[in-house]
Amino acid sequence: MPELNQDFKLDILKEVGNIGAGNATTSLSQLLNYQRVDMYVPEVDLCPLDEIPDLLGGAEKPVQGVFIKAPGDISFYTVFLMGEESAQSLVTNLTGREHSLDGEMGRSVLLEVGNIVTAAYLNALSYMTDLTFLPEPPQLAVDMAGAILGTVLAEANVAEDYILVLKTAFSTDSGDIDGNFLIIPDIDALDTVVKLLIDGVAK
Amino acid sequence: MNTQSIRVKIADYAALKEEGMLITVGLGSCVGVALYDSSAKVAGLAHILLSDSSLFKNQSNPGKFADTALPLLLEDMARFGARPNRIKAKIAGGSQLFSFENKTLSVGEKNIASVRSVLAGLRVPITSEDVGGSVGRTMKVMAADGTVLVSTVGNGEREL
Repeated sequence: MPELNQDFKLDILKEVGNIGAGNATTSLSQLLNYQRVDMYVPEVDLCPLDEIPDLLGGAEKPVQGVFIKAPGDISFYTVFLMGEESAQSLVTNLTGREHSLDGEMGRSVLLEVGNIVTAAYLNALSYMTDLTFLPEPPQLAVDMAGAILGTVLAEANVAEDYILVLKTAFSTDSGDIDGNFLIIPDIDALDTVVKLLIDGVAK
Repeated sequence: MNTQSIRVKIADYAALKEEGMLITVGLGSCVGVALYDSSAKVAGLAHILLSDSSLFKNQSNPGKFADTALPLLLEDMARFGARPNRIKAKIAGGSQLFSFENKTLSVGEKNIASVRSVLAGLRVPITSEDVGGSVGRTMKVMAADGTVLVSTVGNGEREL
């Protein structure tokens, strides 16, 4: 296998993201009482560690983060992050009512959305590579973007300098909602996944 | 007024003399270590991500780990005239934002323990701390007098 260039790898991972987004759309639409909802992945990037908080609007900005550990053939750690405004409109759109984000309903909606987005991506990846992932129950935290990010990195126990960031956008009848889906693998794992994906295509 | 303010990012460290402020934003399970030599008026601040570099093969950034970042920060401070035997530490962070059912120490607790033992090894006493819990923190150190301020989301600053 020749050395693959970075852009090509990212294109492949973005494609997985788009296929995953297709899966997520179905589940989200069910959650929304079959209201129309589309999810897509406009951008995928490998970001240097110290630039990620800026991507999220600054390290001190309060965000909602849903963290999932997915051990398996290759261990993945994912975190789905939304700003307060996006999270609020997502909860309102999904439930048809205003719910406080720190109340039980608000929290469970965010957990469920994080779950759906993560499962959709991992399912797509699993389908295309035959790798098995076993996601654990999601965990929600509301705090400074930097604090959540640092915690997730330390929990993942990786010392990598780059993180895979998939920007996610949901469009619903009642408006558009932005989020960020971060995957923290070790870089070797990412290479393994990309190679499996290419072999799959070549078959 | 030209007061210098240096932002210490995640897995980074910096030192400053006499004037200005060091700030690190968003400490979750990470630990912020503020060092100060009051005679030389030299301040240092590190944002520690992980406890122990020997557990990882990728060690390209020594600023990530307690055992590698703190000795380097002391060296930087020494270049500004600080002396290790006069330096005192204040630490903040090491919280647990996600409520996992932990059988072992949380990563925050591991980071705190590691920072304590590395500082002890360097003979730097900890004079004050705000660690643990389940909230993220922001930490500031003033170079003029070593004042350390800690704040959390929705709460104001308080002196450490």
